[in-house]
Parts: sequence; C-alpha cells; structure tokens
Amino acid sequence: MLSRKSDFFIAFLVICLMLLLLMTVHAAFSVRHAMPNIQAKARMVRGLHLTDLSLFTDARYTRHPSMADLHTAFQDHPMSFEHFPSGAIVFPPSHIHSYGLDQ
Amino acid sequence: MIQLSAVTKVYNAGKQNEFTALRNISMSIDPGRVTVLKGPSGSGKTTLLSIIGCMIRPTAGRVLVNGKEITSLPERFLTGTRRMTFGFVFQQFNLIKGLSVIENVMLPAFPCGDPYGTMKKRTLQILDILKIEDKAKSKIEWLSGGEAQRVSIARALMNDPEVIIADEPTAHLDTKLSEEFMDILGEMKSRGKTVLIASHDPIVYDCKIIDRVVEMRDGTITGSENRA
Amino acid sequence: MGWINKQRNILDFALNSLLRRKGKNSALFVVYTGIIFLVSSIIFSSESIKRESQILLENSPEVVVQRTIAGRHDLIPEQYIGQLKSIRGVQEVKGRLWGYYFEPGVQANYTFVVPDEFLYGPGYIVIGNGVSKTFLAGKGDILPFKTLDGSYTSLEVADILSPDSEIVSSDLILLSEYDFRKVTGMQKGFYTDMILKVRNTRELQAITDKIRRILPDTRPITRNEIMRTYEAIFDWRSGILLAVISGAAFAFIIFAWDKATGLSSEEKKEIGILKGIGWETSDVLFMKTWEGLIISLSAFFLGVFFAYIHIYFASAFLFMPVLKGWSVLYPEFRLVPFLDMFQITTIFFLTVAPYTVATIIPSWRAATIDPDSVMRL
Repeated sequence: MLSRKSDFFIAFLVICLMLLLLMTVHAAFSVRHAMPNIQAKARMVRGLHLTDLSLFTDARYTRHPSMADLHTAFQDHPMSFEHFPSGAIVFPPSHIHSYGLDQ
Repeated sequence: MIQLSAVTKVYNAGKQNEFTALRNISMSIDPGRVTVLKGPSGSGKTTLLSIIGCMIRPTAGRVLVNGKEITSLPERFLTGTRRMTFGFVFQQFNLIKGLSVIENVMLPAFPCGDPYGTMKKRTLQILDILKIEDKAKSKIEWLSGGEAQRVSIARALMNDPEVIIADEPTAHLDTKLSEEFMDILGEMKSRGKTVLIASHDPIVYDCKIIDRVVEMRDGTITGSENRA
Repeated sequence: MGWINKQRNILDFALNSLLRRKGKNSALFVVYTGIIFLVSSIIFSSESIKRESQILLENSPEVVVQRTIAGRHDLIPEQYIGQLKSIRGVQEVKGRLWGYYFEPGVQANYTFVVPDEFLYGPGYIVIGNGVSKTFLAGKGDILPFKTLDGSYTSLEVADILSPDSEIVSSDLILLSEYDFRKVTGMQKGFYTDMILKVRNTRELQAITDKIRRILPDTRPITRNEIMRTYEAIFDWRSGILLAVISGAAFAFIIFAWDKATGLSSEEKKEIGILKGIGWETSDVLFMKTWEGLIISLSAFFLGVFFAYIHIYFASAFLFMPVLKGWSVLYPEFRLVPFLDMFQITTIFFLTVAPYTVATIIPSWRAATIDPDSVMRL
C-alpha cells in the first residue's frame, strides 16, 4: 500500500490531523470535567470577596496586582524588577494608566 | 515536422556584450530521420537546439513544430510542447544525484499528472529496452559512465517524445560507449523517432545511421549533406 | 485527478530532496519544532490561566474602594460606609479586612482574609493548602503568629482549604476579625478597603465618578479593571518567557533565512535540470512550497502536541521553576485546557506561514531561470 514517500507523508498528516482532533476533544472533556471545581473556586471568590489570583506571592504588588498602587513596587524595593520574573510579568494595574497617575 | 524560417538569436541585445549566436537560419527537419548539426564550438549548434527544443525564443524569425507556430506561445504552452514533443540528452547527463535510476527517469512525467502506476510501468519498459532494468533501484552516483548515459536517454524517452535532441552526447564517452550510444539512437530511429544531434565528434557524424549532416559556423549554415 | 497526481509526484520529489540533505534539514526541523513547542506552551498556559481567571474574577466585588494617602494605599475609616451608601444606585457597602503576613521562619508571604462570617470564631484559622505545606501544619495544629507588639498569639488550624482551589486560596489564612485586629494591630473603626454592590451595572461609571467626587482621597477599582489587569498580565505578548524565546526565534529566523535564501549551487543546478526536462516555473515553485510545508507542517504538529502534553499532562514542568522566581509559596494547580481553534490558528500563522513564504520567495528567482541554462552547464 504505502510504497511511495508521499504516501507516508500524507498518512503522517492524516494521523496528525486526527491527533489534533483528539486533542480538541480531550480539551473539551477536560474543561467539562474541571467546571464543578472552577465553580467551587468561583463561589470562594464571591464569598471571600477576593480580587486576585494567588499566582505570585513574592511581593504585595505581585500578589494583588489589581489592588496595587503605582508605588507599591518601589515600596518593596527601589528597583521595581526585584522580584524577577514575576515582577517583570506583573505591571501596575491598567486602571492606574487609564486615569493618568494615581488619583 | 520542424520548420525554421529566418531565425536569428541575439544575446544581451543592446548591451556592451551583445552577441549574435544565430543569423538568419532557415531549415526544415523531416520526421523519422537522424540529423547532425556539425561545427566547432561557438558555431551556434547549442543555441539552435535550444530554439528548436522550445527552451528559448528566437530574437527574430519563426519556428513551426508540426505546423504550429511556437515562437509566440506563452511560457506554459511552450513548456508543455517541449515536454511532450522533445526528449533531451545533455552533454553532462545532468542526472539528479541522490535519486534512484527509476526516480530520475520518471521526472519529466511528474508534471503531466499521470497515475503513478502507469508512470512506473512505462519507466520499467523503457529501462528494459535500454537493458538497464536491473539498475532501476540503484542510486545515480553508483552508476558507470555507460549506465548513466543510458539512464539519461531513458529519461529523454519518458514522455514518448517525437524528437530526441542530444547536445554533444559523446563528449564525455570513450569510443566504445560512443558507438554504443549511436547504436541506441539507431534503435530509436527504427522506432520512428526523429533524432537531432549537435556534435563535432566523427564517431557521430560519420555514423551510418545519420541521414543528414548540417554544417554550421559562426551562427550560419555553411553546408548540408543528405546521406540517405 | 491529474492535478492531485501531479502534486503527489512533486511531493515525492520534495521529500526526496529533503532526505538528500538530511543533516541540515533535520537540524532545522528540530530547532523549528522546539520553537513551536515553546510558543505553543506559552500560548496554551497563558490562555488557560486567562480563561480561568476570567471565570473566577467575574465573581469578585463589583467595586473596591481604596483610600490612598500620598499615592499610597491607606486604611479606610468606617464612616465612609455611610457616605458610600448615600450614593444613588449603591445597594450594599461592606468593609473588607485583609492584609499580608510575612513569616520569617519559612520566608513566605501569606494573605490574611477575614470572611464576613467566620464560622470557627476567635482562636481558630482556616488555611490554604500552600500555607499548610510551607508551615507543615495540619488540622488541629497550633500556629504562632507575631502580633504588632512583638508578642505571639497562637491560633489553631480548624480546617484546610481544598488543594483544588490553590489558584485562589494557596496563601490564604482565614481568621476572625478579633484575631486579625490583634495580630495586625489594625484599629477598630478602620478597614483595609471597602466593597460595593451596585443596583445596575450600567450606572457603574456614574457611581465611581460620584465616589471620586465626594471622597476625593479614595480610588474606586471596578471589577472590569481587575479583569483587565489580569488580561494584561497574561496577554502572552507581555510574558517574559516570550521575550526569552524571541531571542531563540530570531536565531532561527536567521538560520532559516540563510538556508532558504542561499540556494546551494547544487540546488540551483537541479532546478535548471528540472526546467530543462520540462518542469514549468509553477512546478518548481510547488516543489519548493512542498519542501517548506513538509518541514513546517511536521514541526507545527509535533510542537503543538508536545506543548499540549507539557502543559496539561506534565504540569508545565519546564515553565514552573522559571515562574516561581522568588516566591517560596507557589500554588500548585492543574491548568485546564481551554483550547480553541483560535489558539491553534494563531500558532499556525505565527509559525507555518512565515517559514513557507520564506522558503518560496528566494526560490522564485531560481525557478524562473531559462530552461536552456541546463544546456550550458
């Protein structure tokens, strides 16, 4: 059957496409499976009035980026990039920029 | 079969290195015959073969293949005509390294879009005629000079062309292989192919299968001799 | 049918010609796959966090009112509750009590949060799974907390929050208002900040404007702004990882460009032969396109598959150490594959398209050479 190189390549592509499909199916099932857990977390966010994700606990402005003011980063260290790399990922919140400097 | 009227080819027209390769050539080539273009290098043989073989367009003049004017055809049709009408045997064989014999021979048929099975069957038939079917799966670089020569002929025959064009085919072959090559061309002639060779090798133009010798010098035809 | 046969023939030739230059092409392929793997890993993981944070933060307070003094966050006095309540459209106002606690023993930052109703009462705490891990504390253990005056107060772990909720709760210590004020020294009559519930979200803008007017020392933060902050953080373009990778990507682009533009003399000769024996310019270009597609499609699929496995089956083990940075306490959570065709297409157009184009364009010149050049070789 597979006597030509192009046959192998086309077969390879077909397998890849099927795997891609499988991947999306797996993803859909995983999301569905994870939903109850996400909803439980959402209830916790609502109950405790949380505003931020607990992703980077290095510093105050990385722990609660949305609550940080423009100076929080400097308060922790004169150089705002001290908590690398999270300090480099977490910027001051966008609403500070949108109203000009901290009002 | 092929008619040329007042064909002129100028390279690098209008530039410092302007060079007139062919001057006002008119001739016709009859089907089923073997014609040799004889002349020293630089006499315009290769240019004339290129024009006849639809590889380049003449600067002036007309070329008719099977009564059809080809000089004004767009590139795609020119290529199509070349692919189906002519088979080329080059001076250096110009086989593609790394590919097997059968893959090399099939190459001219690739753009035609024939089913693979048909193509392969035809290739094996041609290899059989040229007695190199046992080398079908060998890589090009493993072949001897004579075998490579046969493969390049096989490739020229792949699309079953009416005309075989060979440019200095014996330049890199010893006497024995050159004679063998002429025998193969004789075989092609007997199968009804038109053969057109450019060469200044006596083994070629003195060969008994030759029907006509056209002598060339400085881009013009200086003589024509019919033998058959 | 003829067209398909022709493409398969040309594909055959392209595969052969790639195999003939095995060394260079496989090096290219490996680097290319690696880059697609990294780019897709970033897109997958950031998209997962982004989507999950969106769902979660939709439940955060509609408006948080922060008091600022000298541009810095300050405690907000109780009296503000009444003033905020008097604004039309405000349904409910609550003071929030939360803060940070640095534990020198484990060098970790924790977050104190006082729930509206803390079931266990004073003397007890409920801790997040990350706190439990760093403190090595389980249910029933008693933990000492340093209070403002330097003395220690001991609180008993009444419960541990589910490990499944680490993304929001990992560093949380829930405690009673009494214990919170005792440990942090925050005086009665003050809150960390305040949260509002509004009657109609369409009035949000008017309400925040009003807040700024009647309480000029405060700063309202709306839920939308919180969510936008997160979107900006995980917008993959802003990720530091991408910056790291862009270096690698540039190296690759140079490498690929060199390979693609510098058609070797052997390749040029081959194109000449193909043209001579009757291939059209378009056939040669198809051949080069296939060469580009073979490498880029294979690298695309493999890179994406490996990235998917890396992020969703192997817990992003390559990224996590990088992201941990300085933090002692890092939440462990499984990313949920919020995968959509948009991400896949983004990766596709970021990777496959440029490479394929980069291989075709330089071949154009070679493909248009006169077929008779083969006669002059």
